[in-house]
Amino acid sequence: MIDETTLREGLRLVVDPEIDCNIVDLGLIYGIAIDGTRVTVTMTLTTPGCPMHESIAWGVKCALLNLEGVEDVEVDVVWDPAWTSARMSDYGRIRTGIC
Amino acid sequence: MADVHAPSVSLPLGFILTGIAALLVGASWLTARPINLAGYHYGPEVVAATHLFVLGWICSVIMGTMYQLVPVALETRLHSERLARWHFGLHLVGFVGMVMMFLVWDMKQVGHFGSVLATGVGLFVYNLARTLARIPRWNVVAIGIASSLGWLSLTILAGLYLAAAKCWSFSPFEPMAQMHAHAHLGGLGFFVMMIVSVSFKLVPMFTLSEVQNHRRAGGSLALLNAGLAGLFVTILLSSPWKLVFASVIATGLAFYGWEVIAILQARKRRNRDWGMRYFLTALALLIPVSGLGIVLAWPRLPATELTAQLESVYGLLAFIGVVTLAILGMLYKVVPFLVWYASYSKAIGRSKVPALADLYSPALQAVGYWLFLVGLAFTSVATALGHESCVRAGCALLLASVTVFIVNIGTVLSHLVRPRLMPLDFKSTQPTNTQPPS
Repeated sequence: MIDETTLREGLRLVVDPEIDCNIVDLGLIYGIAIDGTRVTVTMTLTTPGCPMHESIAWGVKCALLNLEGVEDVEVDVVWDPAWTSARMSDYGRIRTGIC
Repeated sequence: MADVHAPSVSLPLGFILTGIAALLVGASWLTARPINLAGYHYGPEVVAATHLFVLGWICSVIMGTMYQLVPVALETRLHSERLARWHFGLHLVGFVGMVMMFLVWDMKQVGHFGSVLATGVGLFVYNLARTLARIPRWNVVAIGIASSLGWLSLTILAGLYLAAAKCWSFSPFEPMAQMHAHAHLGGLGFFVMMIVSVSFKLVPMFTLSEVQNHRRAGGSLALLNAGLAGLFVTILLSSPWKLVFASVIATGLAFYGWEVIAILQARKRRNRDWGMRYFLTALALLIPVSGLGIVLAWPRLPATELTAQLESVYGLLAFIGVVTLAILGMLYKVVPFLVWYASYSKAIGRSKVPALADLYSPALQAVGYWLFLVGLAFTSVATALGHESCVRAGCALLLASVTVFIVNIGTVLSHLVRPRLMPLDFKSTQPTNTQPPS
């Protein structure tokens, strides 16, 4: 049975190439729902109209489908609530210099 | 910029690479023939070189980038990629033909090639207008882009009118006034308006900030539009009122600068990369350009040799200083993204892909930046003094900067041919501590 911690570690392999930090430490992941082998990720991006929208959503799918026990992934990109830097981890903040 | 909303990357890249080739030819031309800047600015060769810069370099890059940026930034789809490809062909034939015909001063053929170019511009404006028509919500960026498309259309019509007036001598307006009015429509209305508009999206996006005061941002666009409408008419009529409208434009730019400073002060991303430095320096150059513009708009300014040279400096600072530097800065964002998208977007989450900043050399960016600024300063002073050898030296520095830029962009493009994919390194992405990885 897949668990959220494993999924979050898997998502750390997806890096925003403009900011050069993984999406978990950037605080882009709002929620992960697991239903058997199906995973639904609710996430955001740093700005609406982000040029990396499709690429990052695609990367999330690929990264999770690489994990054992995941057969179907849905990515739901939302803008409400908007991303703020307060959602970043200490690691993400130090790595990127974002305050 | 290149997701489901945007066209394939080959479309903007085609425009951008055409533009870069034109920039290289133009910079080489000015270095080889410094008299174009050191001497009087209304002659066949100067007009030809100017159109190489404004149509070949600036328009090519702005138009290609708009096809990519507008759909994504405004969260809609490009109306037609097919029309955009037709536009590319017409643009290429049109501007190359125009430059060559200006050189031999065959205005009839300029008109013919200008009509080809105008047809392409018509497709561009129609395509983007249809794209704008379906955006979910209008904002200051969309209003600015729509304004710039309107000014572009007027610029092209004014250009065709100028060519026709040269052939059949029917125009009641003074030739220099017509040319200056046409140049301001294009330079301020299309180029500066487009830079101002898209920067309300791009500066916040790249610095992780947001527009701080929408009324101030909208006010700057309104002042620019009102000022340019008045300036165009008063230049055309050689009226002393042009000073008033030049001041309105300068006020609009001051409001714009105020807003950009506010956006930067609120930014969450503290470190400024070189692409942003290029762009922000270009915006700072709006200050001397505006100041010089107001001086040149002064009523009863004596028509001396110095005044004519200052007009050349004004054009140089506007087109090579503000617009070119802003475009170079944005290309350091746009081209790496396009290449990254084409080479790596499908590998994200499967392989270790480089970050955008890994695609180019920051050291070369810094070298190019300083070469450009020193070259621009040198060329501006030498142009004001009409000193041919010093203009050549300044232009050689600008050419060196362009060469460095091309080398760096070549490094980026090499990823299209030879992508650098690495196996996923699980440990490198895990936050084992709070220290950034070395």
